[in-house]
Amino acid sequence: MLKRLFALIPAGFTYLLAGQALADVEMRSSQWQMWLQKPMSESAVLVHDLNLGLMILETVIVLFVLGLMVYILIRFNEKNNPVPSKNTHNTMLEVVWTALPILILVVVAVPSLKALYFTDSNPDVEMNIKVNGNQWYWSYSYPDNGDIAFDSIIVPDGELKPGQPRMLSVDNPLVLPANTKIRFLIASNDVIHNFAMPSLAIKVDATPGRVNEVWTEISEVGNYYAMCSELCGVNHGFMPIHIKAVSKEAFAKWVEEAKEKFADNSSSDYPKTVRLAEAVNNAR
Amino acid sequence: MLTTLVAGMVGVSFASVPLYQLFCKVTGYGGTLNTENVVAPADVSERTINVRFDSNISPDLSWRFVPLQRQVTVKLGEQTLAFFEAENTGVTAQTGQATFNVTPFKAAPYFSKIECFCFTEQTLAGGQTVPMPVQFFVDPEIFEDPATKDIGTITLSYTFYPAENDEDDRSKVKVSARVQASHKG
Amino acid sequence: MSNEAATHDHHADHKPPFFQRWFCSTNHKDIGTLYLAISMIAALVGGLMSWYIRLELAEPGIQFLDVENNGFQFYNVLVTAHGFIMVFFVVMPALIGGFGNWFVPLMIGAPDMAFPRMNNISFWLLVAGFILLLLSAVIGDGPGTGWTVYPPLSNSDFHPGPSVDFGILSLHVAGASSILGAINLIVTIFNMRAPGMTIHRMPLFVWSILITAFLLLLALPVLAGALTMLLTDRNFGTHFFDAGAGGDPVLWQHLFWFFGHPEVYIIILPAFGIISQVISTFSKKPIFGYLGMAYAMSAIGVVGFVVWAHHMFTVGFDVDTRAYFTVATMVIAVPTGIKIFSWLATMWGGSIKMEVPMLYALAFIFLFVVGGVTGITLANASADLVFHDTYFVVAHFHYVMAIAAILGMFCGFYYWIGKMCGNQYPRGLAKLQFWVFFIGVNVLFFPQHFSGLAGMPRRIPDYPDAYSGWNYVSSVGALITAVGTLLFFVVLWMTLRSKETVAANQWGEGATTLEWTVPSPAPFHTHEELPDMTGKAPAE
Repeated sequence: MLKRLFALIPAGFTYLLAGQALADVEMRSSQWQMWLQKPMSESAVLVHDLNLGLMILETVIVLFVLGLMVYILIRFNEKNNPVPSKNTHNTMLEVVWTALPILILVVVAVPSLKALYFTDSNPDVEMNIKVNGNQWYWSYSYPDNGDIAFDSIIVPDGELKPGQPRMLSVDNPLVLPANTKIRFLIASNDVIHNFAMPSLAIKVDATPGRVNEVWTEISEVGNYYAMCSELCGVNHGFMPIHIKAVSKEAFAKWVEEAKEKFADNSSSDYPKTVRLAEAVNNAR
Repeated sequence: MLTTLVAGMVGVSFASVPLYQLFCKVTGYGGTLNTENVVAPADVSERTINVRFDSNISPDLSWRFVPLQRQVTVKLGEQTLAFFEAENTGVTAQTGQATFNVTPFKAAPYFSKIECFCFTEQTLAGGQTVPMPVQFFVDPEIFEDPATKDIGTITLSYTFYPAENDEDDRSKVKVSARVQASHKG
Repeated sequence: MSNEAATHDHHADHKPPFFQRWFCSTNHKDIGTLYLAISMIAALVGGLMSWYIRLELAEPGIQFLDVENNGFQFYNVLVTAHGFIMVFFVVMPALIGGFGNWFVPLMIGAPDMAFPRMNNISFWLLVAGFILLLLSAVIGDGPGTGWTVYPPLSNSDFHPGPSVDFGILSLHVAGASSILGAINLIVTIFNMRAPGMTIHRMPLFVWSILITAFLLLLALPVLAGALTMLLTDRNFGTHFFDAGAGGDPVLWQHLFWFFGHPEVYIIILPAFGIISQVISTFSKKPIFGYLGMAYAMSAIGVVGFVVWAHHMFTVGFDVDTRAYFTVATMVIAVPTGIKIFSWLATMWGGSIKMEVPMLYALAFIFLFVVGGVTGITLANASADLVFHDTYFVVAHFHYVMAIAAILGMFCGFYYWIGKMCGNQYPRGLAKLQFWVFFIGVNVLFFPQHFSGLAGMPRRIPDYPDAYSGWNYVSSVGALITAVGTLLFFVVLWMTLRSKETVAANQWGEGATTLEWTVPSPAPFHTHEELPDMTGKAPAE
């Protein structure tokens, strides 16, 4: 029954509740948003649909219990029912309310585990990206594209250009080709960070001494924003993740430019720590 | 009786340290590799798998550490030699020790190393560059296991940390730098 | 707190002089009162921290934090201390130390706890722990690690200075206090029941405390072990959690959550017990499915020990491990479902009287169901790929654990305050306090579901502008909750000063447990002659 419920809901319907979709998608949350960001990878669609089904189920449960409570409070109020019954057992009822939740959970487990095993599958990828967490910025490198490597530091509030969202913009976004299977290797140089991207259903801890991997395929060209998702110290709130997804051709062009730009592995003349300190200082 | 229980649970939590390591080694949990009693299988399969190499270096070591080949395609069961290269870019000698894991984690039980620089501490004089070999093979049974048969690429990652006796003075420098940074923040 | 005017000239009510009575107390009721008092003080401290956090988050940008002066670290310290204080020094002392001490002996017909002096030391250890925790927040930079204290952030490289060590010692001391308290409660419940008070005749509140005590005994030593390892890592050069020297930071997470997950049941189970008593009393019906209720709680306790890694789904686990923890976690929904439906079935056919404790019990059920169902979402390792470390988690655990436990505390307070001090609480004001608090917490935490769905991470002092709408609503809710909390202290003050006294059995025919057979306020010594329960109707 519930399975059919999941199937009946067209995945597209849910986007009505989510953020806006433009030509170049801008994947971050919008004011008064009450729902997930639009899923932009196959894994994210599965997770998204799972969440929708669960949320419907959960709303039904809450309303059912609430309705029952209201009914009981009216029907069995002191005034309406002055003499209480002494009924304390009903084996049938107890069996039902034990068995029914088990059945519901079994039904829930099917799409849940399906999504889980899909996100953990190992397709052949076309390129690899190395992500390193640092206090408090991300470093990205492209081992398959001439070892381009750069740091990605938050843009201070005072230096935001028009169109750059506050708290989410970085000096050097992670440029990736859309419609390409990409594997991320995620590591950390100091404490535990978490590399996240809600619209791609990516959330992986960057743990020192333990390299994690995850793959994705971004379905549309655009800007994708997220923030570090594991408390990593003083400026934890100020190390956003910005993925700029471009077409394959544009990516190839960017690679050539980036090889020049990041030739000395530094996008700026003055040292990283200074830039970082400034960025954080101004981020208020 | 209850105090025994409490003492027992404290004991269990400490025992968890070696037990956890043993557990990781035996099951390949968290990408931990089995490095003991490794015997290469006699038969080499015709099927191949890609092995990628990834290197990380602790900010506390002034080394450059890179794989000399990004990726190799190996026959299952075939012993393969790959090289990393480490260079001490500082002037004083430093000793490092590498930790390692493979991803996907579930491939770890099928990935065996016969020889590796990571088994021992490595000391590099200032400016010295050394190649670091690793010899490994992938067990053909990886394609028998339904959980791992779709794996086309295994990544072997190393992270070099300063060896224990070498660490103290350096971490002090690091701490003061961080405290400064955080105070600025 | 006992009302002098109501003191009976009775040999059972001879009280020692002030200092002996409150500082060297061996009386379970006085120690219970002390626990309730420290819980209220700690609640104000922890509450002030959370209101400061909400004020800061009311608008995007930095409003109050002194960024030049390490303000972001201060924010993290607030987040950390708020968690520790609320868990270890508000909820646990009130529910286990306070109501457990007061009413377990009364309910099972025992004259006092099994080890009265140990009872005293476990209270004063808690005070010491609380002082250490407050010190940790003001010494040096404070522990900005979150209550999970994950290394490497919590090790000496990233948190130099003594503040994290103070925090560790605080938890050690508070943990020792809880372990001693748990041993005391278990021995009391096993050995000091009145004749005829069999295990299966004990009130459900006693059951809940018994199970909680066992959870404490199994979980806290693991935390103590892990904290000791962290302490030696920080100070004595060990490398348990140091990846660079063969340790593993993930091991800390396993150990912490092996304690941390049972800990949330430690917090909520006694509230279950109180709610069961209250619902039965005000429905004028015995509890529905008594055995099912007792064993559902036991099942929750047992399963609580095998689900810990659902807090760590993003650490990078093997997929089968995540599948196991997903399924095991969802299993918890079954016994909790049994409890919810049994409460509803207890009310069904009852003759419900809407006194303030009953309002709190109903609110508890509602909040617990809302928080419980979002737990089903979070149980799924795949859904965790979007929800981990977002405000959705914050909303979930505040609903299901934090606010539900606080409602349980208020519920117990209004239910038993007449027994504890002999006075009637002001009914109208108490009802107002309930509604203000209930509306406040919902306005406070419900919008956080939306922030979380939209992707807002936890533990950040500032946020992208898009999250400002719901955060503002949430902060307004915090203000309402603050008013509700202050109203509670007004109610408390008025109750203690009230001239209106209550009868021994304040609630009438529905209140069948033994505490209602002794006078109100309960005299200094009770059950000096053991009540004989032999042949009495079983609790169900």
